[in-house]
Amino acid sequence: MRRFAAALLAALMTVGLCGCSWQTESPDEAREVIQVIAMDTVMIFTTYGEKSTHADYLSEDEVRRLESLLSRTDENSVIWQLNYAGGLGIDVGEEVCGLMEAAEEYAMVTDGAFDITIAPVVSAWGFTEEENRVPSQEELDKLLALVGPEHITLADDAAALTPGTQIDLGGIAKGYASDRIAEILQENNIPRATISLGGNVLAWGDRPDGTPWRVGIQDPKDPNNANAFAGMLHLTDAFAVTSGGYQRFFEKDGKTYHHIIDPATGYPADSGLTSVTVVADCDRDEVDGTPGVGTMCDALSTALFVMGEEKALDFWRSSAYDFDLVLVTEDGRVVVTDGIANEFEEIKESGYSYEVVS
Amino acid sequence: MKLSPKLQPCRWDGLVVLLVVVLAAACALAVWSRGTDTGELTAVVTVDGVETERIPLKEFPDGERTYSGNGYTLHVRLEASQGETGLGLYVAAADCPTQDCVHTGTITRAGQSIVCLPARVIIRLEGGTVDRDAPDVVIG
Repeated sequence: MRRFAAALLAALMTVGLCGCSWQTESPDEAREVIQVIAMDTVMIFTTYGEKSTHADYLSEDEVRRLESLLSRTDENSVIWQLNYAGGLGIDVGEEVCGLMEAAEEYAMVTDGAFDITIAPVVSAWGFTEEENRVPSQEELDKLLALVGPEHITLADDAAALTPGTQIDLGGIAKGYASDRIAEILQENNIPRATISLGGNVLAWGDRPDGTPWRVGIQDPKDPNNANAFAGMLHLTDAFAVTSGGYQRFFEKDGKTYHHIIDPATGYPADSGLTSVTVVADCDRDEVDGTPGVGTMCDALSTALFVMGEEKALDFWRSSAYDFDLVLVTEDGRVVVTDGIANEFEEIKESGYSYEVVS
Repeated sequence: MKLSPKLQPCRWDGLVVLLVVVLAAACALAVWSRGTDTGELTAVVTVDGVETERIPLKEFPDGERTYSGNGYTLHVRLEASQGETGLGLYVAAADCPTQDCVHTGTITRAGQSIVCLPARVIIRLEGGTVDRDAPDVVIG
């Protein structure tokens, strides 16, 4: 009886002590959330751990630094200077050069479906200044002649463009920002976090209860409804990026024109997809602040949206890059690649039919 | 082995043991239960990156509150009988060009937000009951 009582007492005291330490140290409870408007989107940094506040504000500073470095509209940015250099070579620095090299790689492997030189065409549609118009075919043909990776010359941190060609790194800037933030989280021993940069998400670690982060994919047919999802991803240490035509568009004479321009036609991509989500593992040992998996997901989500279902799945099957896909089609299907099928949850009330492909 | 009478547990010893057990259990309970309490559902408003207001939905006035930024004004109202807590917020009207904030509809649980990019206003909900099945973050 005494032994039993002593054991019970010890057990209860341990429970009590655990409660105490859980409350005082508890990295799970030290949570910081900040919201930032930058790069034309809303960013939400939710980090846990002793240095969560520090990490959040470092992340904000980093995003602002990248915003002014990579802006296409700020006359003081390197990109602006390069775009208006009239063909002359400009010292863009190691970082921008590295990003341009990454962009060139994705342009090559996607057969031009991702292309940073599409910028003047996007502007012709008014998506840069938000004064939307439908450009004439003649105008588009003229601009398309200056689109393509062959119009960029890179050498020793310097870059030059064919006169008239302009670049916009907006298609990978947020992905690159997520790579940079991953390094900040790593350096500050952040155990868990969700970093949301518009259509780019970094799910770092797991939830405080030990289960994966739940990442909802916005339903493209109900884009403004905060409770409408095409699916739910269960992610631990992963990047996820969604590209969709519903994110920015305008209507003219009864037709809808969205902002993802197909470099092959100069027109908004009409590939039968309404959104593409690219998911890839974030290996903490490989996080080093250079363009990495986050950048890749950002570039590929745009490219695969332009390519359409068939070509996108062919590209995924080629295994050139390690990632998985969730495709939402115009005809009401959600196509999930088998590598992520176990981490994907269907939403019954969404009305979609779900398929897993291999 | 036979214990000397002095070492035999008496009634008072039992009482002490009971007291300690009850105290330990009470302490543990107090600590554990506090961990799951996330406070009441609160709207956090930021304008141009600065937090300007933190107001529990219960204290939100029945009429409306307005938030202004960058020359635009949002009229925010409380909606009853929405979601688990029975309260939600929505933008009833705004003079911004995109109207995305109006189209967002009603937000009812922690983590959801209404964003007006032109006005640089973000209204985000925190606290309240935690729904384990709700998404932590939304992409797209």
